[in-house]
Amino acid sequence: MDTADLTHHTSRRFNEDLEQLRSKVLAMGGLVEEQLRRALTALTEGDSTMGQLVAAGDQLVNRMELSIDEECSRILATRAPAAGDLRMVVATIKAITDLERIGDESEKVALIAARLAGLERPADRYRELRHLGRDVQELVHQALDAFARLDAVQALSVARSDRSVDEEYDAIQRQSITFMMEDPRTIRRALDVMAAARAMERIGDHAKNLCEYVIYMVHGRDVRHAPLDGIEQQLNSAGN
Amino acid sequence: MNPTAKATRWALAGRVALRVVALALFGAIAGAVWGRAWAGVSLALALMLAYEWLQLARLLRWLRLRDINEAPDARGAWGDVVGLLLRLLRSRRRRKRQFLGLVRLLRRATAAVPDGIVMLTARREIAWFNRVAERMLQLNRRTDRGLRIDNLLRQPEFTAYLRGQQYQTPVTIRMSGEPEVFLSLQLVPFEDGELLMQVRDVTRATRLEVMRKDFVANASHELRSPLTVISGYLETMAGDTGIDPELQHPLQEMLRQAQRMNGIIADLLSLSRLEQHEGEIDGEPVDMSIMLQHLQRDVLARAVRPRQVEFRAESPAGLQGAPDLLYSAFRNLVDNAANYTPPEGSLTVRWWVDGEGGHLAVSDTGIGIAPEHLPRLTERFYRVDPGRSRATGGSGLGLAIVKHVMQKHGGDLAIESAEGKGSCFTCHFPPRRVTEIAVDRARAAL
Repeated sequence: MDTADLTHHTSRRFNEDLEQLRSKVLAMGGLVEEQLRRALTALTEGDSTMGQLVAAGDQLVNRMELSIDEECSRILATRAPAAGDLRMVVATIKAITDLERIGDESEKVALIAARLAGLERPADRYRELRHLGRDVQELVHQALDAFARLDAVQALSVARSDRSVDEEYDAIQRQSITFMMEDPRTIRRALDVMAAARAMERIGDHAKNLCEYVIYMVHGRDVRHAPLDGIEQQLNSAGN
Repeated sequence: MNPTAKATRWALAGRVALRVVALALFGAIAGAVWGRAWAGVSLALALMLAYEWLQLARLLRWLRLRDINEAPDARGAWGDVVGLLLRLLRSRRRRKRQFLGLVRLLRRATAAVPDGIVMLTARREIAWFNRVAERMLQLNRRTDRGLRIDNLLRQPEFTAYLRGQQYQTPVTIRMSGEPEVFLSLQLVPFEDGELLMQVRDVTRATRLEVMRKDFVANASHELRSPLTVISGYLETMAGDTGIDPELQHPLQEMLRQAQRMNGIIADLLSLSRLEQHEGEIDGEPVDMSIMLQHLQRDVLARAVRPRQVEFRAESPAGLQGAPDLLYSAFRNLVDNAANYTPPEGSLTVRWWVDGEGGHLAVSDTGIGIAPEHLPRLTERFYRVDPGRSRATGGSGLGLAIVKHVMQKHGGDLAIESAEGKGSCFTCHFPPRRVTEIAVDRARAAL
């Protein structure tokens, strides 16, 4: 009777620990989303002071990564989780690395934005970049939603839409090259635009990674480096 | 046990005993006709038992059926039992119907409310939400019950609000996606730590606010260049000795008003710059003793000022912030105090640090402010006494600027005042803004 009570108690505490861990990851995700939004605002509004704000925010993101990492090690050491719980902790350790990278890339975008703000702005206010930025932002948001809901179906569809981000990145690259060939004076700006687009494309990749961890958490299947269509079939047959 | 209950129990027992005895007697008499009295008694009692069992079986069957219309029609005590059960069932059914009606009514009412409503458990999990909330917060009716709200609403402003437990005022968050949507969220605690969250769409109001800010910034900017031309000519003319002496006075007045207008526009521009950027300013370490020296020099340079002026830096600690913004805020406070204090009064400026952070207080023995004005003092162009403040040449924006500068540094402005006795304006800065400065000064001295 006593032992039964004790195990019940510890497992409840353990569950709370895991819930707390997930909330921390998502809070970090929220912060990263905000960083990305600020960086994109800096880019589209030509706002140079925003860069400072993003740099300050990045330190907070880094601190959160360290604290969550420590928490994960503590849980692994003291609770020795198994099965789903273990997958959850392992996925968390990986997810925070990707989140931190998204933060870094956002900072990069903000720095480029500060530099671009000093140059003459094209009439379209970097329409392609804005578009790409919006898509990437949505991707990160959806990926974190899938993480919160443990929704493997959504995760898969988000991972798939990373493809369109890659295509947009290619388009921007082609466009920039055309600009540079037409008028060498735009080279400086075009290089910055390409660097910003590259950072956004990387953010899209990290969002895709987050989705893969969600699928791993839910189905216990490592879907990295595998074609997405095959994964869907596999998951469907596993579900039946 | 009370005596009446005891009496009824005995009466009941008596009635049952009487029935059994009467039945047994009837059996005995009927049996006696065939000369087998005992067999008659047994038969009668067995029949009675069978009858009772039959009634019981019918009652049980009915109860299992759960159909109120199929009530068996029974006699005697069994009839009473059925009647009582029927009454119980009917009242339960009525209450259930009332309750369901109430639930339906409540659900319709919450659906009709134009605001989103989310109910949260004490553990901040989503317990229930209406359709408006579902649409505005992009929730999912199928999957999201039982999830923690801050897992789905991850905006740092909201998580800080949820954790901060200060639910008197709502918080505004920006939803992801296009077009931009701003929502105002207000938490209301009820019961044991459970929370009700009210969600309002404030996109229109927020956009209007942005438009207002842009308008003020643009208008001030556009007004500036024509005014520069006007005051330039006025200055030249006022300096020209060949001008009719009768025009000298109006010229001087025009020049003075043009300068005042310049001041107002400059203040408007710095206010709109302060409003433009979200978030706090990081800045650099500011040496407060040097800051106080500058302020003191400014006051002493004034033509009209209180006779007693005292500046005290009680702590060597510095302040992390934007030096020009802090200077203009403190300067506004010191100027106000000097303006509203008669020459025989006194003006004191103190800087000190304690457990709650850094504080700069500007106190005077001036005319003071009536309590009804205090809450509105930091509004733009708010005047306690329009005639008087215009005479001193203020723009009416000084305290608004102070308030905004304080917000940019995570601090706030506290105003205490007694009419006729004086006022005290205190800038409170949080502890994280207080920095060590002594090292820098030592290095500077080397």
